[in-house]
Amino acid sequence: MFRNSETARGLTLIAPPALYALLLLAVPLLAIFAFSFWSQDFLTIDYTPTLNNYREAFSEPLYAQLLLRSVLIAGAVTLATVVLAFPIAYFVSFHVAPSRKSLWIFLITIPFWTSYLIRVFLWKVILGYNGVLNSSLLGLGVIDEPLTFILYNANAVVITLAHAFAPFAILPIFVSLEKIDRSLLEASRDLGENTVMTFLRVTLPLAVPGVVAATLIVFIPTIGDYVTPRLVGGPNGLMIANMIQTQFLKLNNAPMGATLAVIAMGIVTVLSLIFIFLNRRWLKGRKT
Amino acid sequence: MTWLRGYAVLYLVFLYAPIVLLPIFAFNDSTIIAFPLSGFTTQWFTEIPNTPALVKSVQTSLIIAVTTALLSTTLGICAARAGAKYSFPGKAPMLGFIMLPLVLPEIIVAVSLLVVLLALGLPLGGWTVILGHTLICTPFCIAILNSAFGNLDASLEEAAFDLGETRWSTFRLITLPLVMPGIISALLISFTISLDEFIIAFFLTGTEPTLPVYLWGQLRFPQKIPVVMALGTILVALSVILLTIAEIARRRGIARAGGKDTGGFL
Amino acid sequence: MKDTSPPPPIVSLRAVQKYYGTYHALRGIDLDIGEGEFFSLLGPSGCGKTTLLRTIAGFEDISEGTLLLSGQDMSGVPANKRPTNMVFQSYAIFPHLSVAENVAFGLRRRSDLSKQARQVMVEEALDMVGLGGYGARAAHALSGGQRQRVALARALILKPKVLLLDEPLSALDKKLREQMQNELRRLQRHVGITFVLVTHDQEEALIMSDRIAVMFEGEIAQLADPQTLYRRPLSRRVADFIGVMNFLPARATETGAEISGLGRATITPEQCPAGPLSGDCTIGIRPETMSILFGDEPAPASETRGLVHELAYYGDMTYYDILLDGVEKPVTLSMKNLVGRRVLERGETARISWDERALVAFAN
Repeated sequence: MFRNSETARGLTLIAPPALYALLLLAVPLLAIFAFSFWSQDFLTIDYTPTLNNYREAFSEPLYAQLLLRSVLIAGAVTLATVVLAFPIAYFVSFHVAPSRKSLWIFLITIPFWTSYLIRVFLWKVILGYNGVLNSSLLGLGVIDEPLTFILYNANAVVITLAHAFAPFAILPIFVSLEKIDRSLLEASRDLGENTVMTFLRVTLPLAVPGVVAATLIVFIPTIGDYVTPRLVGGPNGLMIANMIQTQFLKLNNAPMGATLAVIAMGIVTVLSLIFIFLNRRWLKGRKT
Repeated sequence: MTWLRGYAVLYLVFLYAPIVLLPIFAFNDSTIIAFPLSGFTTQWFTEIPNTPALVKSVQTSLIIAVTTALLSTTLGICAARAGAKYSFPGKAPMLGFIMLPLVLPEIIVAVSLLVVLLALGLPLGGWTVILGHTLICTPFCIAILNSAFGNLDASLEEAAFDLGETRWSTFRLITLPLVMPGIISALLISFTISLDEFIIAFFLTGTEPTLPVYLWGQLRFPQKIPVVMALGTILVALSVILLTIAEIARRRGIARAGGKDTGGFL
Repeated sequence: MKDTSPPPPIVSLRAVQKYYGTYHALRGIDLDIGEGEFFSLLGPSGCGKTTLLRTIAGFEDISEGTLLLSGQDMSGVPANKRPTNMVFQSYAIFPHLSVAENVAFGLRRRSDLSKQARQVMVEEALDMVGLGGYGARAAHALSGGQRQRVALARALILKPKVLLLDEPLSALDKKLREQMQNELRRLQRHVGITFVLVTHDQEEALIMSDRIAVMFEGEIAQLADPQTLYRRPLSRRVADFIGVMNFLPARATETGAEISGLGRATITPEQCPAGPLSGDCTIGIRPETMSILFGDEPAPASETRGLVHELAYYGDMTYYDILLDGVEKPVTLSMKNLVGRRVLERGETARISWDERALVAFAN
């Protein structure tokens, strides 16, 4: 309707959210970028452009170690989350009666909306030396002494984050599975494939967009997570976000914090693009 | 497919494990958060209203969450409406950029806003948290409202206009009632996100901490933890109630539009 | 033939052009639609018929030209201020309102009406479309045909000068569609309002309309009453779009044409709707104007011979594809399956009767 002034109306409508994002996202991101080329001496900012922050970031082993660990932990979390989530999404999409699907999705999303902080803390309670898991396993006689490899290290971070990001992985995969025309599966069966091969040759390739979305939506925020490494990670489970926070709020070195933030964003962007690119190529390779 | 169902049930246990523990420790008569339990008490719940700092932080958080919900839903309505109905140059990049906070690590949003606010010499406070929260909540609102506006048959609005209504009364009489369930769930979900958000609040809050920031400080003191558990229990109960209302609103919206339920919030 | 001069125009378009960016959707439309007419815009999808309808309704503005509704220029007049109402293809029944609320929707701004008056009007409108007593029903509980009727009642209650119908029957199944065609026609005569119908179904247009505009690629290819359109199409394209027509290569002579497979025939000027012919041309003939002669039945007019190439038995009719001497493509002819009449088999030779009065000539 009213096609005459469609462009004007569209632009008028999009203007408030777009301006908001411009002022509160684009400008700050640019500011961070600018800060990374400045330096700070106690409380005064020196605006002379310099690459010293980047030099330091790449030469100081602690930063490199934190960055690498963040990438590895985020990768492990992503892998665990997506692999664990796929069967759930598949189950809800293919084996739950249509009328009960939204109930299942509802059940899956509820934990996600409950206090993140408290949830992470409770994982500490579950995984701790005298925690729920250890005391239960001891009580059952499965183990003789408490497991120590599950708290205050990277494992604990992976478990906790895999829990926190579960719905983020399940929902996109579920949506892509829901979009699959069920007659395609019947066609595959009709053409002689068994259930497993139908899954591999029809369902899985068609679910790839959902898996890609799930991977990115878990990987990107995970790399910058602050709470979980701080609460359950111990000294060897800390990640880059903890260092960024320290630089900003404790060391009063905003330029260094900004540099680390820029590097982290750069790494995330590059890895995501590589992932998308490889995935495209793989899909294209299949089509020809 | 019994093994798949079994797996699904196990997965739900994994998902709910921490939440199930919450009320258990909230009613446990001990400051040590571990099994075995020592006894039943409601002491921790009664302590909540007697902790002024906690009450204050709840008030701060509520004000921030309500304002954030209103702002981000309003912005979300604009963006979702523009996206569903109009075509204009630069539409896809603009919408993509607005949705960016959905995939941006929150710490990045937090520090970049902090840098700008400090550079401008602006004081931190509740309003700076609102700015940050609105930024990250708007994409969620858009995601919810997109389906509400997308499901709206364009000819319904044309019909109302054709029958003599103005553009504005068409929006009020037809569009708004039909997308209202989406608006309600967008309000509730952005409210919930804001209430729970920690990192941005941690960086941008002034002298008055929000509830999560307050809780973060309490987690260091073991004797304060049971009260946190009690509060957590209340919050979970509240979230579940709000989410149930949101879900019912969403389903009613679908039923009202005569559509089929395809499930899911997002 | 009917008198084709239209009553005084209520819709009048002059040199109307419509562009979407570089796409030229309407190319110089000149059109007058008379008061009380049942007018159809007929054409394949993408021919601009819906754009034209939406232009009249006010949902699309025109790039060039003028549009008058009962003599008044409509430029700058939005849809809600025009004396037109529309029945949408999807019906656009407001799902959150009851049937009665839907029908009464357009009366909201009529402050002169009392509540009782409105109720009476709604009841009358619902009675008119055969939905008396359905007022309290929820809109989303209606069937497709009922939605259609609600959409009609909702538009007609406002007594528009023109009712615009955008493919209103396309979502209905065949039986219901035929029933609604009759009802729409009856309703239009009853209310006397001008109806402008958009359809891609040529049969529907023929059955319902007083006049039809056939559109291709944003232009009106022919504007005529159903009989003229069927019997004297202006071009091969129109002929092909309306019903079935066989085309035979021919050569114009002084008094008529020498037609491949049929022979010599006299062609009157009236049979050359697009103007006089010369040289190579094409002759069109409809399947039902030819027939097979059985036994030694004499031909009522001219006669030729052919070979049954293929046939399709429809129950009431049989369609034969006949190969004529010297014509590569078989011609189609249809025969009623009368009592005692034999259905020919493939490969049989048949005597074919045809009538030169049924021919239409086209330039190549």
